[in-house]
Amino acid sequence: MTDYFIPRSAELSLCFSEPLFLQDVNDRWSLQHPQLYCPGQKNQYFNKKAFASCVMHSCYSSLILFFIPWAAMRDTVRDDGKDIANYQSFALLTQTCLLIVVFTQLCLDTYYWSAVNHFFVWGSIAAYFAITFTMYSNGMFYIFTSTFPFVGTARNSLNQPNVWLTIFLSSLLCILPVVAFRFILIQLRPTINDKVRYKMRKEVLPAPAPRRLLRRRSTRSGYAFSHSQGYGELITSQNFLMKRPLKRASLFPQTDSPIFQNQPQHYLDHQQIKKLTDSMNGGLSLLLKRRVAILVT
Amino acid sequence: MLLKLGGHCSFQDFSEESCHGPGSDEMVQEENEFTNRPDNTAFTQQRLPAWQPILSAGIVIPGFVLIGLAFIGVGVALFVTSRSIQVLERDYTGDESGTPCASCANSNVQNSFGFCFPQSQGPVFFYYGLSNYFQNYRRYGTSKDDNQLYGVLKYFTSPSDNCAPYAYNSNNQPIVPCGSIANSMFNDTFKLYQTVNGTRQEVSLDGKGIAWWTDYNIKYRNPTNNPLKDAFNGSNSGLFYRNFLINPIYWSKPAYELDTSDPSNNGFVNQDFLVWMRRAALPDFRKLYRRISQDKYPDGLPAGNYSLEITYNYRVYRFSGKKKVVFSNVSWMGGKNEFLGIAYLVVGSMCVFMSIVMLIVYAKFKFPDEE
Repeated sequence: MTDYFIPRSAELSLCFSEPLFLQDVNDRWSLQHPQLYCPGQKNQYFNKKAFASCVMHSCYSSLILFFIPWAAMRDTVRDDGKDIANYQSFALLTQTCLLIVVFTQLCLDTYYWSAVNHFFVWGSIAAYFAITFTMYSNGMFYIFTSTFPFVGTARNSLNQPNVWLTIFLSSLLCILPVVAFRFILIQLRPTINDKVRYKMRKEVLPAPAPRRLLRRRSTRSGYAFSHSQGYGELITSQNFLMKRPLKRASLFPQTDSPIFQNQPQHYLDHQQIKKLTDSMNGGLSLLLKRRVAILVT
Repeated sequence: MLLKLGGHCSFQDFSEESCHGPGSDEMVQEENEFTNRPDNTAFTQQRLPAWQPILSAGIVIPGFVLIGLAFIGVGVALFVTSRSIQVLERDYTGDESGTPCASCANSNVQNSFGFCFPQSQGPVFFYYGLSNYFQNYRRYGTSKDDNQLYGVLKYFTSPSDNCAPYAYNSNNQPIVPCGSIANSMFNDTFKLYQTVNGTRQEVSLDGKGIAWWTDYNIKYRNPTNNPLKDAFNGSNSGLFYRNFLINPIYWSKPAYELDTSDPSNNGFVNQDFLVWMRRAALPDFRKLYRRISQDKYPDGLPAGNYSLEITYNYRVYRFSGKKKVVFSNVSWMGGKNEFLGIAYLVVGSMCVFMSIVMLIVYAKFKFPDEE
């Protein structure tokens, strides 16, 4: 009863910190595929149907999280014959099951595992167990006797194999349907988000072909070229302002949006400029190449 | 050959002379306008290196198969272990005629009934069980004074308000130990006899160490008075003799007489008292009463006829409760509970089945990765 707030605070610390660093698609891909913003405008992720499915999932999880520990604790004892089906052990078991399920669900929803996310997730689980054992320790009982009556509960119940087997069972029973459902949904009805993330993953894994990447950028390289020697005439010519129909994956039938063209690139560094110059060599017409050659020598 | 465009510098020459020019003032102005721009670091621009997993078929389907097989394995082990545990239960409420102790409900009769034991493997534990008994009721559960039970004498004479209405009796005398959990302590006693060649031999029962060691050593303490009785006459607090402390209303003897033969089992650290105070979570529960001692029966109870003699003190008929005795041995997973084994088997099979379904879905409706 008095330790009700502990699992809640662990959960809250995780819930508030996680969204700050979540990122399913980074800025580059977000700009290239502005259709990613359509589901938000159409309220596809937050509507009555989504709410109803959330409620059903919660009901299912609640039933699992109570009845699995209940059935596992009925009429059973510890492995040395002593009591385990007492109120305090049962409360601790249910609470631990709940926390593990919440953490696993959050891990499933986290698409972007940076160092910060790792710290908060594993740190929260460790903090929960640390706080639990501290609250149920002898020291806290000696100082605040009537506030911490659960002394000894964690030590006496969490060393039992059937307790951990119950925790494992209930958490997997809550999580595996979610995983299966999401996987099947990705296969049958992939959302724009799934498609982009799949593409992103496929592009990241092999070595990125510079030409393929950079053709998309060649129209907005005026600023970048201005740092390099030899491209003055090229830049002052009108060629860069030409709108070129870019080669785009047919996954997305729409053409570029206006925002795509006008966005300046502030973050090209030395290597990216080198790649741009290489593409220039490949993509320019012969005439321009000759002009550049004259200027450079 | 250098080229200068506006106020910008050539990439290859960073000397100060070539870097100043007509545009330098503009650049300073620009910088002032952009002081609020966040730093171009990986942390602020959300470019931290990260692992970005997606639910791909290569992970999910083999994962489900592995989890399913592991669960089936664990389920088989749990089920087999649970089946090997021997349990013997006998209801002795006596609410129906013909059942053991049918006449006990009306008077304090010492009754006994016989039963057969098969050969047990391993130590046998003797439990008493109660049904329809809600120790998890909240008002009941908070009705105790932890400070009193820790031996703090100040609370002997002024019990906590949580214990009401079992804090003071009708003469306004404080009750020690106060509260309804202590007041409702189970007080049936049992004796087990083995019938060997027509004679009854008592089976020795071991009552040591049946409560949690943290309860015995940390949570509950007797007051330091020696003899213990002195702590219960209120003399420490300087009260008049009229205010001596009394035992709970339902108890037949005070706390300092719970086990007069063994001072380490007397008072608040009495093992039966500790077992009772650790209140149960569910309305059907069993609590450890004794252990069949290992001295005479190191391999467990031999097969044969036994009889149990019960001193029937605890009345449960008023709330339609039931009482029973349970003899059981234990294993690495605790007492007999077939639910875990069956649950693991069911979940494991469902995992394997789902992995097959997902494989079919994946093969037929493969995520379009071309274009």
